[in-house]
Amino acid sequence: MPLKIAVCIKRVPDTETRIKPGADGKSIDEAGVKFVLNPYDEFAVEEALRRREAAGGGEIVAVAVGPDAAQETIRTALAMGADRGVLLKTDARVVDSLAVARLLAEDLRPGGYDLLLFGKIAVDDSSHAIGPMVAELLGVPCVSAITALDLTESAGSAEREIEGGVEVVEFRLPAVLTVEKGLNQPRYPALKGIMAAKKKPLEVKPVELSGSGIEVLELALPPERRAGRIVGEGPDAVPALIAALRNEAKAL
Amino acid sequence: MPRTFVPSRYQPALPSEQVILNERPGPDAIELDVLFVGGGPAGLAGAIALAQLVAEDNERGGGLGEVGIGVLEKGERLGDHCLSGTVVNPRPFRELFPDLHDRDFPFAAPVPGESVYVLTASQAIRVPTPPTMRNHGFYVASLSEMARWLGDQAEKLGVNVFPGFPAASLLADGDRVIGVRTAASGLDREGKPSSGYTPPTDVTAKVTVLAEGTRGLLTQGYLAWQRIDSPNPQVFALGVKELWETRRPLNVVVHTMGWPLPPSVFGGSFMYPLEPNVVALGLVAALDAHDGGLDTHELFQRMKLHPLFRQYLDGGELLEWGAKTIPEGGYYSLPDRRHGDGVVIVGDAAGLVNVPALKGIHYAMQSGIFAARAIFRALKTADTSRSALAEYDRLLGDSYVMRDLYRTRNMRLAFRHGFVRGTIGAGLATLTGGRVPAGRIAMPLDAAVPRTPGNASAFTPDGKLTFSKVDAVFRSGNATRDTIPAHLVTANGIPRDVAEFYARMCPAGVYEWVDGALRINAPNCVDCKATDVLGPRWTPREGGSGPRYKRM
Repeated sequence: MPLKIAVCIKRVPDTETRIKPGADGKSIDEAGVKFVLNPYDEFAVEEALRRREAAGGGEIVAVAVGPDAAQETIRTALAMGADRGVLLKTDARVVDSLAVARLLAEDLRPGGYDLLLFGKIAVDDSSHAIGPMVAELLGVPCVSAITALDLTESAGSAEREIEGGVEVVEFRLPAVLTVEKGLNQPRYPALKGIMAAKKKPLEVKPVELSGSGIEVLELALPPERRAGRIVGEGPDAVPALIAALRNEAKAL
Repeated sequence: MPRTFVPSRYQPALPSEQVILNERPGPDAIELDVLFVGGGPAGLAGAIALAQLVAEDNERGGGLGEVGIGVLEKGERLGDHCLSGTVVNPRPFRELFPDLHDRDFPFAAPVPGESVYVLTASQAIRVPTPPTMRNHGFYVASLSEMARWLGDQAEKLGVNVFPGFPAASLLADGDRVIGVRTAASGLDREGKPSSGYTPPTDVTAKVTVLAEGTRGLLTQGYLAWQRIDSPNPQVFALGVKELWETRRPLNVVVHTMGWPLPPSVFGGSFMYPLEPNVVALGLVAALDAHDGGLDTHELFQRMKLHPLFRQYLDGGELLEWGAKTIPEGGYYSLPDRRHGDGVVIVGDAAGLVNVPALKGIHYAMQSGIFAARAIFRALKTADTSRSALAEYDRLLGDSYVMRDLYRTRNMRLAFRHGFVRGTIGAGLATLTGGRVPAGRIAMPLDAAVPRTPGNASAFTPDGKLTFSKVDAVFRSGNATRDTIPAHLVTANGIPRDVAEFYARMCPAGVYEWVDGALRINAPNCVDCKATDVLGPRWTPREGGSGPRYKRM
């Protein structure tokens, strides 16, 4: 059964990039930072592609909120195989997830989507919030952090990993699903896909972020890890190790 | 009489049957008009120049129409595999972008002044700057950043830039090159498709431009297949480079000769200010040393302890590390022709490096520009045959590139017999515009030079100023998947002396002698190609493997 699927994606710093706070102390210094498609969103794009392949049809729209440079991120999703892209363009620095969720919901509401896929988190701010918020704003069911998915005509079931077990959840379509890693293995864009992506439609819509309810006061790097120390060797070292764990590391 | 060995005896043959495929392109082939293999300065400058010529032609109503231009690059992104000193002559930038100023180009700063030293273990003796090494009016830069900037310009002009796609083979039809086949990705250790497998893709083009850089595999394959010779074989050096954040600013471009290299080894060091508190430094050593224990990485580590360098590096931080070979043969090592049916060879792949000036980026870009002009004419006349593309070699031959290379034709070669005789020979060559010494000094193939086994290393890095090869590879950004198939091809039964020679030569710690056999830590490889020159053959691995240089 062909579905119309929206995949909401985000441009984030590469997880291998060395991040440092910028001059304002509230945002990262973007100089020399490589940006990529949020890794969790890759699973979402991949899942959409597999649904379309299994159904032998359907449409996949990649939607992002971000600066002009996020077009590149959308092109990545198009190169993987999404059909078209929408950039809700704003240069404002996004801090409040609700403001972003409102923009997305407004754009998605008239779209007639059967399925709305999100990465479980964006690795840059780890808010976990956008997917559930969009579901709430659209008044559709939301299942978060899914690791398996089964769809029928108008409903589906998904698995979630919970403490000590697996939870199986049933839901009706349309629905919002946020995806956990392990759901699938995302494909690399092929040359042919990259070529084709250049010609796929990508609509850029300027938007205004609504007022933010929260404010970032400070960004700081984690404290540097102290160098390790060898307390001794063999069984004789055990008392020294216990003492160090108890008194210095406070681990015992 | 010490025992010696000749590296070529242990070197597998070039895998020509894998490099040249007389096959029809697959049904999913991508059809382009012109394909540049390699996203370095040569390929990108060529792609930009060609896109400009096509755009001008279409504006004039020349009727060429849309021309599909592509650039394949093996690195994860442009510049990731680019490494150079770098002091760059801006000439081809000005030629490519006449509307821009030098300040618009991706350069760090003008060369502020320069010093040349002869080093001993404890002293630095300043000597006059040799005329060929004068850098006034040039710029300190990062080649990685230049490549990314050129890539942006190319994309703006509609060029298809494909990072992460190594070309593995040339597709041939008779004597004509009709495109390339990319390397597969997602193979497991045994070479079988695993999760995330992407099959090779064929890319066809009317003209394929080999811009692979130093020791290009397809270039070697093409030259061997077409039996294109050169008066001398190409000879190489290995450069190891680091980027440091320093406490003390450097405000001069520094070059050194002498220590820590033995007098019999051609090479030298450099230290350039990239930013007031960021310094690029490195050591370059020829790969034809008789001493089989020569370890350029280790010599470079020792070199940093010399007061000349240490005064800047003490208290600083190592930001990046990288390594790359340099084709040093010059004029007499250029292939007899650098064009053929449907193909031209540019930049380092062709050996266009001016060793006495320590420069090749401007030649790389200039040769790319000449290739673009020749290809443009060929497309206009719908004739991309060998005789039509001979225009490229004519343009190159009539240019300053070939005049420079001819003038300095024997300067590197004079060093064949060591530093003292080399200095005299090179001095005479400079004074006489290359006329003395007369004729061509013949050079052996690097791999044919007999080696004396070296002693084991007694050097222990301190982790502050000096670093092991394992640490170094980490600082190259190398995050190659460690389950990919081994891409370095060795002969069987490598004896211990030869294995230890590989281990010393390779700056990335790829080779080890363990339990009586050669062990190959292939994921460490940073594609410098040193062992491809002297031993194990390098073959392409999945796209994005290898180093991820940020500002090399």
